Amino acid sequence: MAQAAVRNPWQVTLHVWYALFLRELTARVTADRVAWLWLLLEPIAHVLIMAGLRTLIGRIRLIPGADFIPWLIVGITTFFLFRNLMTRGMSAIDANRALFAYRQVRPADTVLVRCALEGMLSTTVILIMVVLLNLLNYEILPHDPLSVMGYWMLMWAFGIGIALIFSVVVTVFPESKKFISMLTMPLYLLSGVMIPIQYFPTEVRYYLMFNPLVHILEFVRAGFFEAYRTVDGISLLYATWWSLGALALGLLMHVRYKFRLMAQ
Amino acid sequence: MIEVKNLYKRYHGPFGGGWVLRDVDFTIPRNVSVGILGRNGAGKSTLLRLIGGMDVPDKGRVIHHCRVSWPMGLGGGLQGSMTGRQNVKFVARIHGGEDRIPELIQKVQDFAEIGKAFDQPIKTYSSGMRSRLNFGLSFAFEFDVYLSDEATAVGDAAFKQKAVKAFRDRVGRASIIMASHQEGMLKQLCQSGIVLQNGTATWYDDINDALDAYRQTIGKQ
Repeated sequence: MAQAAVRNPWQVTLHVWYALFLRELTARVTADRVAWLWLLLEPIAHVLIMAGLRTLIGRIRLIPGADFIPWLIVGITTFFLFRNLMTRGMSAIDANRALFAYRQVRPADTVLVRCALEGMLSTTVILIMVVLLNLLNYEILPHDPLSVMGYWMLMWAFGIGIALIFSVVVTVFPESKKFISMLTMPLYLLSGVMIPIQYFPTEVRYYLMFNPLVHILEFVRAGFFEAYRTVDGISLLYATWWSLGALALGLLMHVRYKFRLMAQ
Repeated sequence: MIEVKNLYKRYHGPFGGGWVLRDVDFTIPRNVSVGILGRNGAGKSTLLRLIGGMDVPDKGRVIHHCRVSWPMGLGGGLQGSMTGRQNVKFVARIHGGEDRIPELIQKVQDFAEIGKAFDQPIKTYSSGMRSRLNFGLSFAFEFDVYLSDEATAVGDAAFKQKAVKAFRDRVGRASIIMASHQEGMLKQLCQSGIVLQNGTATWYDDINDALDAYRQTIGKQ
């Protein structure tokens, strides 16, 4: 009757990803009556409010080689890509728990699919922001779009890796969720999103440079602004190792704890 | 045929946990329907989860030589925030049945008969409606063995009749492994029985013998 022909594991995985993607998307769009609007309006409003606040109260406005507002907005949207992947990705397992009744669906699938969706939403947001600011006569069109896309993907990969790791951690130790959520605020302030890294004392900067987010953010900005002078010591290799390392560790943890994650 | 070999299972909770199943060992022949009996907490659902491949044993193996359904039950398999229709579509897609969705939806709706509730979120369903949808969903797919975890317990008489009829129609092609406390259902649908007690399983070729043994374990003659 309705039994599919024998599929190979890749086909099964693709079918699961497709089904989960549609399920996640419907859930995001139909959560409540304004969910579809909120989806894009919320991050845009957030960015605009932060930019507004920062222009009102901030003292440092001088960014070498870039206008302040475009610099800030590129930084915030790129950081939000990471933050959304991390916070939403790590709760994917809990949100889809009932679906593990079907043995085709594995915990890693839910995290990967949710991260793909979040990444697409964030990409739409940055595209809208660029068009919007360009219409308002800000210098925000990327001078090297290809490298921007590459570094954006790198941030995406890093976010997926971190989401994979934390999704295991918060499911195995539910208490840790509180601490991990608390982590995003200091990261926001110390990744050079709103305050340029150059303005920190050298001794402090030495430690801040261990944060791979700083490296990726600077690379994205360098792709946007032609004359932009990046922080000394940023390294593509360092950021890539972090991304690949996080992805590998995350996937390994999902293999190791697969059945612990699926337990009711 | 399903072979269960020296199965051990325990759960590690924050306060420790003892063995749920200890050295469970049996073989279910092809086309034999089996009732799993045991008092509450004896490990019936755990055994079904292990047979369904949703969980791994600490020791031992489960070997299938056939297509086994997911355990139909009160809780499992339906996502509360999604509507009945969305759940059916999801399950159709993960089984690679994208192009058969309209046909599958029709089948599930015909079986479940929950009317407009089909387009309401599952969390608004009563347990009877859930189990109707759950059954309809499993029956829309062709499996060799269906697993049922108390799925018929909450249905009304009409639904129970329908479930029995659905199995009667499949005799010779499919069998069922059901955990249940309803003796009538078990006698109607199953030939053999397994009684779980203190983590061990005893196989009975005849479901009536299994029911007698089960009554003794709960101290009721």
